[in-house]
Amino acid sequence: MPKYQATLLIELKEGILDPQGRAVEGVLKDLGHLVESVRVGKVLEVVFQAENLLQAEEKAKTMGKLLANPVMEVFTLEALKELP
Amino acid sequence: MKWAIIRFPGSNCDEDARFALEKAGLKAEYVWHTETSLKGFDGAFLPGGFSYGDYLRAGALAAKSPVMEEVRRFAHEGRPVIGVCNGFQVLTEAGILPGALLANLNLHFTCKEVGVRVERTDLPFTRLYQKGQVLRLPIAHAEGRYYADAGTLARLEGEGLVVFRYAPLKGEADYNPNGSLHDIAGITNEKGNVLGMMPHPERAVDEVLGGTDGLPLFLGLLEEVTG
Repeated sequence: MPKYQATLLIELKEGILDPQGRAVEGVLKDLGHLVESVRVGKVLEVVFQAENLLQAEEKAKTMGKLLANPVMEVFTLEALKELP
Repeated sequence: MKWAIIRFPGSNCDEDARFALEKAGLKAEYVWHTETSLKGFDGAFLPGGFSYGDYLRAGALAAKSPVMEEVRRFAHEGRPVIGVCNGFQVLTEAGILPGALLANLNLHFTCKEVGVRVERTDLPFTRLYQKGQVLRLPIAHAEGRYYADAGTLARLEGEGLVVFRYAPLKGEADYNPNGSLHDIAGITNEKGNVLGMMPHPERAVDEVLGGTDGLPLFLGLLEEVTG
């Protein structure tokens, strides 16, 4: 079965205070960068098997739903590619 | 009444939980997270710790363990379920209790004694306390900021599901240790049989441990059967 790599991005929902982002933002500003804001999220790279690209996308989204907490997070399927 | 203390890889308050339950006169046994049956048990205790190293999010991976289906069944059947600290995080991640626990506002792992006000005394867990009583209990967590969307918060408040709230011990203004919304330290479900809380009552059941304010919680569970 072909192998795929999905890149899932998990971020805090808009409006939820992100103290990690605030801390990073503060440091960047202190260093003189003209930063507006910083949000910290997580990137998950999942390598898995699927029949085809369509099924791979479906599976990747299912895993994203499982791994993100809908109470406070949103996930995006950033990239999906077939591996050699 | 026999309690199952659910052990996940990384649980570290399991022995404290057993000490507290047994001190109150309850039976307790450890149950590994891969078990698929809680037959023979009457209550489930999810102890504190760092299940799966808190990877992904605190409690997120433990919430997908096989044993959690049984914990869910217990919750639905009205049997008592307690999740303390990491256990509370597991219960919210599993959707058994609403909301989520986010990183503390100060981004520090915070380990200290805090004031905890008892908001309800009609639950098995709190029947031996006085309403409004402020307990002195230890906390030890990095992700304890209770969060829920506005609608859920309104429902929690409207239905009186907030059981414990952070409160000043010595009149201090900054008594909320993690930035929890509405100063929430512990909540219950609609039936009142599932309790999730960030402070550690099991670490305050003997003077040797620094206090006994947590003991009545466990003694209250005993009355549930005998009384």
